Formats: sequence, structure tokens, C-alpha cells
Amino acid sequence: MKNLNKSLSVVAVAVLATFQAQADLRINGFANLTGGITSSDDSLYGYDDRVSFGSQSLFAIQVSGDINDKMTATGQLVARGNDSYDANFEWAYITYQTSDNTSVSAGRLRMPLFRYSASLDVGYSYHWVVAPQSIYAVPFNNIDGVQVDYSGYSGDLEYTFQVTAGKIENEFTLGGANGNLEIDNVISLTGEFTYENWKFRGVYATAKATFDIPDLDGPLSLLAQISPELSNKLNANDDTGIFYGLSLEYDSYDWFVAAEMTGIKIDQSFYQDESNFYITAGIRTGKWTPFITYEKSDLNDGPKFLSDIGGFPAPFQPALTQLVVGIQMPAISEDNTLSAGVRYDLDTNVALKADVVKFTNDISEEEDTLLRFAINYVF
Amino acid sequence: MLKKTLLAATLLFAASSALAELVVVVNPANTNALDSKTVQRIFLGKDKKFADGNETIAVNQGADTQIRQDFDQAVLGRSSSQVSAYWSKLVFTGKGIPPKEVANDAEVIDLVSKNLSVIGYVDKASVTDAVKIVEM
Repeated sequence: MKNLNKSLSVVAVAVLATFQAQADLRINGFANLTGGITSSDDSLYGYDDRVSFGSQSLFAIQVSGDINDKMTATGQLVARGNDSYDANFEWAYITYQTSDNTSVSAGRLRMPLFRYSASLDVGYSYHWVVAPQSIYAVPFNNIDGVQVDYSGYSGDLEYTFQVTAGKIENEFTLGGANGNLEIDNVISLTGEFTYENWKFRGVYATAKATFDIPDLDGPLSLLAQISPELSNKLNANDDTGIFYGLSLEYDSYDWFVAAEMTGIKIDQSFYQDESNFYITAGIRTGKWTPFITYEKSDLNDGPKFLSDIGGFPAPFQPALTQLVVGIQMPAISEDNTLSAGVRYDLDTNVALKADVVKFTNDISEEEDTLLRFAINYVF
Repeated sequence: MLKKTLLAATLLFAASSALAELVVVVNPANTNALDSKTVQRIFLGKDKKFADGNETIAVNQGADTQIRQDFDQAVLGRSSSQVSAYWSKLVFTGKGIPPKEVANDAEVIDLVSKNLSVIGYVDKASVTDAVKIVEM
């Protein structure tokens, strides 16, 4: 973590030094002020039954400057409500335009996992109040590395390809337990195709994942005393993981329908095979865009490695089962979310939004209802 | 009464927008063939060069002007807010910079007349010999 911060601050300093050397700076920014209140005793995305603004609001400033004809330095400073509005350089990178079609970026970048990854924080760029959390709320949205972009068109078909490589480090919370995430040797391939009103996107990524969750250390070492092999299978220590995603969109400007599905698999770990999707639709009528979204998240394929337990002597089996299932429990979840809302374009740089969200935990069948409203601003 | 006023306002609006005919203009020395698709690509930052290899520099009019809203709707096929949302995606990913905005037709004509790369749009009534209308 220290090394990472060091290398990032080197990039940030380089970016800043570039800015000072250059007179022609572009300063842009965006802000999402998002408030919400749940129905009594519910809680969702950090909101409760009193109006609050902290959990999904953010303010950001982006500074970019041209180093020369072909090189641009960009830094994005983001202050998030769920981080007490402490400002951090979430992105700091240098882009080299190698040709009209190709560019290479290096530094800290947004990981191009999703249809809306690149502008995920820019609420103004999409119709939702906040992008569907079942899909987009992953703790590995930024990567330290290199990205090659290639774009072009042939007739009415436009295409973009991206190759991204690097390393991700972040903190995360899983089933209430805090942990650290280290994802090395990340390689991802993205292809996006636009033909008339249609847009198709595909992404495939592989990496070596390490999850460090202090709460799991006890059970894992206990298990290792009985079966080091099973303990190894359950911990996520430099284990191969894959991420895949597909999205399809039809947008006639008067109305649109879009769907996106993603999956994560880390076979040799406690982490459950994950598959998520959403489908959303809306109508643009003058300044108003009413929309609905359905989301589904599934990490509930039954605990893994239970068949391995059969090979152990019967007296060990109950304790083993308890440990193997217990270690996986925090990662198991299944839920669906239905939301309806509206966007109103107040100006060409300000949008007002509101939505109602009903979140259902498909395992406990508990429901949470949330009302949100937002002001999105870009400059 | 209110309905009548509304009707009158609508008619007036229709009349005024019929009077203003929007045309795309380039430098007279710019001999590239341009169709509406190409103009769209240039104003959305997708085509950075003309067919002859010269750089493209699109010039916009102010976001709150009628001619800009007409251009966004007629040529880009979407509302000015949607065009702005499109650019916000590119700006904040370092993938593009929206066209510079100028105040009026005279400024567009001035810039176009001085630079082979510049492409803009004005009311047909403002067109002078210093620029060439793009037939789309």
C-alpha cells in the first residue's frame, strides 16, 4: 500500500509539474449532490430513515494540460461524501496520442469494466440517480497501469478496443467484514461497437486476486489444522479470477432500452460465483426523462467444496462442514432491485433527478425502500 | 384567452424559426466533400481530420442560443442537453474536448474565413463571400 501511494504521488507530482509548466490548462469539474431517505427502520446504500446526503454525493475537479502536440496529462481530484469529503487523486495519468486512432495512457485510470465505467462518477452523463449498484458497486474501479485505446469506423459501424494491464489495490467490505484487496497481473480486453441506434459492448479480464479479510483468518487457520488443502482452496491468495461483461443498448433518442450483465469467478477461493445484470428503459420527452430499472445480483450457487468433505473420516465431517460453510457465508447473497425515477434537464449542464428504489434480499426476503433526489452539475 | 395567446406565440415561434435557415460553413479554400454524417462526426469529435488530411476545428455557438439548439437537433439529432451529456463522458475520461463556443454568426464567419480547418454554422442571412456554404 505504501509503495502504491508512493508511485501514485510520483505520477500526481509529474502531472502537477506539467500543469505548472503549461499555460493552457483545461479545468473541468462535476458534482453530484444526492440525498435520500428510506422508509422507517430500513437502510440501503448508507441511507436511513432520516434525510442524509453523505453516502452518494461527490465533488470533483479535473485538470488537464497538453505537454506537447501528442501528450496530455490529466488529474482528477474527487471528494466523496462517504469518505468525509476528503479529496483524493483518484485518477492521474498521461496520455500519448500515437496516431489518429490509437492512444496509450499510463498512471492511475478507471478500470474499463462496465458500459458506464468511464463516466461512472459523472451523474450528468446518464439518466440514473446513481448507476445500478448491483453491477457498478465493485471495490476495484481504478487501476494503476497502462491502457491502449484504439478507435475507428467503417461506414456506419464505429468501434473501440481497449487493452488494460496493471494492478489494483483497495479496501472493501464483504458481508460486514472489512478487508484489503490486491489484484495483480490484471489484463482486460474491451470491445465496443456502435451501429446506428445500437451499441454492443463486451469485456473479458483475468487477474490474480488476494483478499485479506482479518475476520476470516481465525476460521481459515483452524481449518488448516484439519486440512491445509481445503484451507488453501478457500482462501483467496494469488488465485486466478476472471471478470466478464456484455451490454446491449438501443437508443433512438426519443426512448432507449439497455441491458448489461457481468460475472466474476475466482474458483479456488471462498468467493462465490457472481452473476449480475440490469435492464433499464426510459423515454426522453422534452426536458424530462422518466425511466425504470430492474437489477439482479446472484452470489448464491450453494457453498463450494462441500464434495471435498466426503473424503474425510466421518467424525471430522460435521466440524469441517461448519467451517467450510461458515467461511463462505459472508460472501453469499442474492438480491433484486426495482427502481423508477425521472431526470429533468434544467440546463445544458445541470440535471435534477429523483427515484424510488425497492431493494429485496432474496434470501431473507427483507425489503428496503429508498427515495433519492439529486442535483448533477458539470462545468 | 390563454389558448389564443399560446397559439399566437406558437405561430410566431414557427415563423421566426422558419426565417432563420441554418447553414454549415467552411473556408472557401476547403474543397473536401462533406455530407451531414461527416459534419456530425466532426462536431462530435469523432473525425479529427478532413479527407485531405487537414485538421478539423469545429466552432460552436453559445449553448443558450436558438441556432445552437437548432443545430444540435437538426444535425446532431439530439437535444443540447444530450449533446452536453455526451461530451461530459468524453471530457472526464480525457478522450475529447468539446468545440470552442463563440458568441455570434460574425465570429464564426471571422474564424472560418481565417483558417482552412475551421467549420461552423450560421444563419444563411449572415453568410458573406469570406466563407463557403456546405451543401448537405
